[in-house]
Amino acid sequence: MANVSESVGHGHDHDAHDAHPSFLQHHFDTPAQQFNASKLGMWVFIATEILMFGGLFCAYAIWRGLEPQVFDDAHHFLNKILGATNTVVLLFSSLTAALAVRSAQVGKRTMTSVYLVITIVCAAAFLVVKYFEYTHKIHLGLLPGHCFGHPGFSGAIQNGEEVGTCLRIHADSAPGMPQWVKAVDESGHVQVLSPRANMFFGLYFVMTGLHGVHVIVGMSILGWVLYKNQKGAFSPAYFTPVDLGALYWHLVDLVWIYLFPLLYLVGKPE
Amino acid sequence: MAAEHSHAPATSSHGNGHGDADDGAVHVHIAPSGFYWGIFLALIFLTVVTVRVSYFDFGSANIIIAVLIATVKASLVAAFFMHLRHDKLFNTISFLAAFLFLAVFILLTYDDLGYRGKLDYAYGGKVDAHTGQAAPGGEPATSATADSVEHEGPPGAAGEHGGGAHGAAGGHEKHEK
Repeated sequence: MANVSESVGHGHDHDAHDAHPSFLQHHFDTPAQQFNASKLGMWVFIATEILMFGGLFCAYAIWRGLEPQVFDDAHHFLNKILGATNTVVLLFSSLTAALAVRSAQVGKRTMTSVYLVITIVCAAAFLVVKYFEYTHKIHLGLLPGHCFGHPGFSGAIQNGEEVGTCLRIHADSAPGMPQWVKAVDESGHVQVLSPRANMFFGLYFVMTGLHGVHVIVGMSILGWVLYKNQKGAFSPAYFTPVDLGALYWHLVDLVWIYLFPLLYLVGKPE
Repeated sequence: MAAEHSHAPATSSHGNGHGDADDGAVHVHIAPSGFYWGIFLALIFLTVVTVRVSYFDFGSANIIIAVLIATVKASLVAAFFMHLRHDKLFNTISFLAAFLFLAVFILLTYDDLGYRGKLDYAYGGKVDAHTGQAAPGGEPATSATADSVEHEGPPGAAGEHGGGAHGAAGGHEKHEK
């Protein structure tokens, strides 16, 4: 460790190559060059991630423009309180990720690990809340596509009404097509959703699902960074993986910052 | 010890190592922990605001308010948690370029939707929604397209937009075969 920082600190031109710190890949001249290249690579990757989610946001914008009323009806089936809870959980995990980077920058290895563990625990908590949200919707028969209102999902009694069942309002409607769904929304109102509402839930499940995949990937990355940190791989001279892992985690947070209001909050309040 | 001294600007909290002589070491701005907590509290405050606001109806401004608040939150995260504020400017440009191209993507898609011809069942072909004239481009109206459109299913439950778009796509396929 001491060796590493010393060789970085000297930095005379003539011995820059002789005193190659172990973390410095040999195709870089200096740690700063390596650090800046890694960062730029990460930001370009983040740009491609935004464009990947961007396709879904474009689909959202188009379908919401075409079917404002259906989106309005359907979004009452999302629980604002659970969504807000998950937002707070992710924001807090973003804070701890930033603090983990700061601890690594000032060389507090134990605190880096503590903050990384808190971040990973928050990520797991986010997924647990998401699990309860998903199962509730699936039990109401709100899975998109041909599952929408599928009689395979048993009806339940809520507020004294049979809900969550498929309603074959059009006797001639083809089997395997989305059906009408009667269910109790999050405000406690019984609603009959048009088959076209399956588009909303299609977007909901795909957007939050892709985001959920990113949560799992982010947990894995931060877990690997935690492992390397425990092995003493990082120092104030070299903390790039902590920084980039945290950047990925902040990206997960960024996407959710937009998903939450667009899916849970826009529309007329009941 | 020499190493400790050369890193001193990086580890102090005002930490501006940019002006230093280029010794090849990594110099970054290090904000105090309290600063990150302050950003976090601002983000929580904005989350509470956006949830509270959602219980009021501002009509079509609902989505604008929600997206504006989300953008302020995202800017805070990107500028401070992701260090863009004290990072190389080119990283910020790369990041913002993604949103520029995303805007191009969404606007062009909207433009296409707004100005593409709508399927007219009585006419049996595409009609410009604004002028009422036969729409330029695309398939000319033929009996084949008109027939296949009718078989694609009545517009009953499906909306005019959705049904029309599906019908048009189906008509194209059949005609090409």
